[in-house]
Amino acid sequence: MDDSAGEAATSSSLQDDLTFSDTLVALQIMRAQFPHIDKVSVQPFILKSQLYSSVKDRTQVDRELESLRRDKVLRLFKLNTGQDDHAIMFLDDYIKQIDQVFKRMEVKKEVEYEVFGWFKNYVLDSKLETGIEHEELCSLLSLGGKVKDSHISILINAGVIIRQLIDPNMYWFAIPNIGTLLKGLAQGRNELISLLSRRRYKEMMLATLEKKRLRMSPLDMRFHLRDLIGSGHLRTDHTPSGLIIRVSKD
Amino acid sequence: MHTWKQIRDREFGNLRPHRFSNRIKSRRLSDLQLSNHKDFLSPHKGALNSLQVDLTEGRYLLSAAADASVAVFDVQRPTEYEAGGLISKHRCLFLVDKQHQLAHKYAVSSAVWYPVDTGLFITGSFDHHINVWDTNTTQVVVNFKMPGKVYRTAMSPLATSHMLVAAATEDVQVRLCDVASGAFAHTLSGHRDGVMSVEWSTSNQSRTQLGRRPSVLKRSTMNKESTFKSSSAGQTTSAKLRVAQKKLPNGNGSRQVVVGRVPAKGPIKQRLHPGMLSTQDRATAHYGAVTGLKVTDDGMYLLSSGSDSRLRLWDIESGCDTLVNFETVRLQTNKPIQLATSQDSTRVFVPCMRTVKAFDMWSGSTSATFRGHYECVNSCWFNEQDQELYTGGSDRQILVWSPPRLISDEMEEGIAEDQDSWSN
Repeated sequence: MDDSAGEAATSSSLQDDLTFSDTLVALQIMRAQFPHIDKVSVQPFILKSQLYSSVKDRTQVDRELESLRRDKVLRLFKLNTGQDDHAIMFLDDYIKQIDQVFKRMEVKKEVEYEVFGWFKNYVLDSKLETGIEHEELCSLLSLGGKVKDSHISILINAGVIIRQLIDPNMYWFAIPNIGTLLKGLAQGRNELISLLSRRRYKEMMLATLEKKRLRMSPLDMRFHLRDLIGSGHLRTDHTPSGLIIRVSKD
Repeated sequence: MHTWKQIRDREFGNLRPHRFSNRIKSRRLSDLQLSNHKDFLSPHKGALNSLQVDLTEGRYLLSAAADASVAVFDVQRPTEYEAGGLISKHRCLFLVDKQHQLAHKYAVSSAVWYPVDTGLFITGSFDHHINVWDTNTTQVVVNFKMPGKVYRTAMSPLATSHMLVAAATEDVQVRLCDVASGAFAHTLSGHRDGVMSVEWSTSNQSRTQLGRRPSVLKRSTMNKESTFKSSSAGQTTSAKLRVAQKKLPNGNGSRQVVVGRVPAKGPIKQRLHPGMLSTQDRATAHYGAVTGLKVTDDGMYLLSSGSDSRLRLWDIESGCDTLVNFETVRLQTNKPIQLATSQDSTRVFVPCMRTVKAFDMWSGSTSATFRGHYECVNSCWFNEQDQELYTGGSDRQILVWSPPRLISDEMEEGIAEDQDSWSN
């Protein structure tokens, strides 16, 4: 009874919860509000568009993100859904995620798994950007030991490194095991936009909208709302009876 | 009223003239809307690709369209008046289209005035040619053949010692064509794909900025013996290459812009500048192509727009991204767009699909959205003298956005006012 009241309190106050003053505060609160998903175990991550909708000044967000990234508090990952999608994950969460994947892979075979240790110690520590070149990756990994091609393919199979489509010599850093969530993200975005576009005036009150559940996405409505408001596809307007969400015309 | 008080302050010396004019200009700038007193009658039958007002007088507008036509308008004197003298209509002074001998065969992608006077203008087209035209006789004076479609041509607004046209084409090399001699003076290499936009620096007459298809911004310096400040004339220096990789203090570390200074001797044909070519020195400015570049009038900042729908502001001297976030949702991805800035570098005008958005340069917030075109806007130009914005789009129209003129004042002057008609 207490729990459900608490839940209702947090979910009905998205209107109050929509903006924060500081980037780090916003990140921590959104990390705590990351939806719990049953089938997949993924550490919480935050999309950059969600940050933009939560803090008013986007330039301040960019600059604070940059300094947090350099202080190795968090890492940025480029996602393949849409053109400028980035995911932000705290470094501790990322390490936990890699360890989870490592444990699951270790069950199958016992070959050359020290590469994960080298990756965590040498590569993550020194390369803070979203992508890395093949030579640099090999040289950083070889600080731990002799690097073979099979090591790189283990990293790719685990999903920690992804080849770039434009340039065969470069890799993106990636969050492993996130595939289903990304698919759900894309489908959930489409579903939410079509839900609003089908209505006569292409708008809905925030209070009613956040109670709905999306069928095609394991992520909750609050996650998608923040993301779409931040990327500019939806707009919020103040009305005497609360916030209203509209599909924005270009 | 407010303006009269300011005039009186200026008269008494309380307000400096410079500040007075800046205040009036910035107030007019924030009042921009679709002009209610000026209109251009566009003769083009294809999408507008480029607009430029000449730099010497600020009087003639040169427009280039996709139906291979180029037109010149007089911005200040209209050809006729409508609605009893309230609306001024500007027809084109002349039109060069496909019927003209030696005209372009395909779309003209860019037309620029010769910076020194309006006697010449240079057009670049998808038919792989760059033509230099004499304005008074509308004849082609010099013709350059390029290896690919020409996306942009640019001439340095400060040049006193050279008459070079920088041409951005489908080919990976940017060529500098010399109008005086009719030959190619330099070739700038370093990009790996077609170059979509090129701009000369407004502070240094021998620097250009290049933006290319996948996403790299390169700055290259062309130096001849007489203009390079540190090498003495007559010195035969072998090309000293100093490529500095700058780590960005405030910017995203993955976006490093290459600074390459190559002292080259005299006009050399087809010379490669290896300092800008080594593969480690590539920098990713945008995820996708760089579709538009604009250098601010003081020459200190560079704006770049990309097909990843982002607009970035770069500090030229250090090569850093200033991380100002402009709230652009979608930008045109397949065609180059032309950005405009106000002279005091406070506003940036960006064509965003069908609208033109004005952003505050330093904070990135949207200050105005101009909706009026029926299709995508391709280019915009800000006329500093009158504080007017001209935009050209794929709907073949040139729209004027200006501070509103009070119609009621004009009416009281000469025209008999009809008290009963209140639907003005």
